[in-house]
Amino acid sequence: MKQAFELSALVDDLTPVRPLAIGPALAAVGLAFALAIAAIVMGRGLRADVLAGDLEAMFLIRAGLLLLLGTGCGWAVLRMASPAVGKYAQAWKMVVAAAALLPLTALVLLMGGRGDVAITHARDGVQCILFSGIAAFGTAIPMVAWLRRGAPTAPARAGWLTGVAAGGLGTFAYGLYCPFNDVVYIGCYYSLAVAICALAGRMIVPPLIRW
Amino acid sequence: MLRRLMRLSQAGDKQAYAVLLDHVGKWLARFFRQKIMPDAIDDLVQDTLMSLHRKRASYDPARPFLPWLAAIARYRWVDRLRQGYRLQAESLDDHQPAEDSHEDVVAAQISIGRLLCLIPDAQAAAIRCSRIEGLSIAETCARTGQSEALVKVNIHRGLKKMALLVESE
Repeated sequence: MKQAFELSALVDDLTPVRPLAIGPALAAVGLAFALAIAAIVMGRGLRADVLAGDLEAMFLIRAGLLLLLGTGCGWAVLRMASPAVGKYAQAWKMVVAAAALLPLTALVLLMGGRGDVAITHARDGVQCILFSGIAAFGTAIPMVAWLRRGAPTAPARAGWLTGVAAGGLGTFAYGLYCPFNDVVYIGCYYSLAVAICALAGRMIVPPLIRW
Repeated sequence: MLRRLMRLSQAGDKQAYAVLLDHVGKWLARFFRQKIMPDAIDDLVQDTLMSLHRKRASYDPARPFLPWLAAIARYRWVDRLRQGYRLQAESLDDHQPAEDSHEDVVAAQISIGRLLCLIPDAQAAAIRCSRIEGLSIAETCARTGQSEALVKVNIHRGLKKMALLVESE
């Protein structure tokens, strides 16, 4: 029997393995995130209020939401390396819903004709997207490497989530420099940056992690 | 018991692994019987066992074993559906209908039928004709009244949707 032969071959081939531990993966993503922050700070500098230690409220809200988005989705990505059927690591849905408040708020204000800052600073917005994307790329690498070691069973979702997680962390890193506090600007360009990262993740990641 | 066997297998216990693979093979055969044509079950069980072997480090011993196994089995099943579509798109005319017991065929179709109910009618019809009844693309066109291009698109989109439905369960 072909199956009997395969089974004995698998048994003969058995060697001890250490179950995947999420700790090293977390450390690797944390390190990549720290490097992304360091690169932004060294290359672009820090916001004036951060330097002065007198933080703006909008900066805190933005940073908090993006950090939640990045860590919540990042955690889900790392958990996806160990497959399971059921409701594991679903917190990302709440985090994405919370972060969606930024673009929704921007949309409402834009429709009310209050998009002056976003329009007049479009050039800065493009820069925001570009630098956030570069920082996101750096943080996505250890996530993808981890997924490749594991056995992700939903590659498309893993791709989306990797993009959103990396986008959240990348925009957070860039946000340490970005001087703008206008909610329309943040809702437009930061959301666009995360959306582009998500799309890139969906397109690039699945072929890399199929097994 | 399976959880303990898997834990021992991760530690390199070949005896436990042999017992585990035997149990898992039977479980998988039952699992796939409801999901795929009977003539494809053996190959799919073997593929899944090899995946289990290659990805055994991804099992977290703190979690139940069967959900992990079921997730891997579903992944292999979805992969097989996609591969099957690609192969069939190239050589559908050479397809030989399976010769299996009526009960097995009906059981497989019931499960596939559930998924077909969840996708648009045109896609379900194209998949039903070409994938389940084994008709050629030309025959599927005649039966469904769809053009050849539309049949191919509907099969592709339908299988993709079915795969997503399976993944999102």
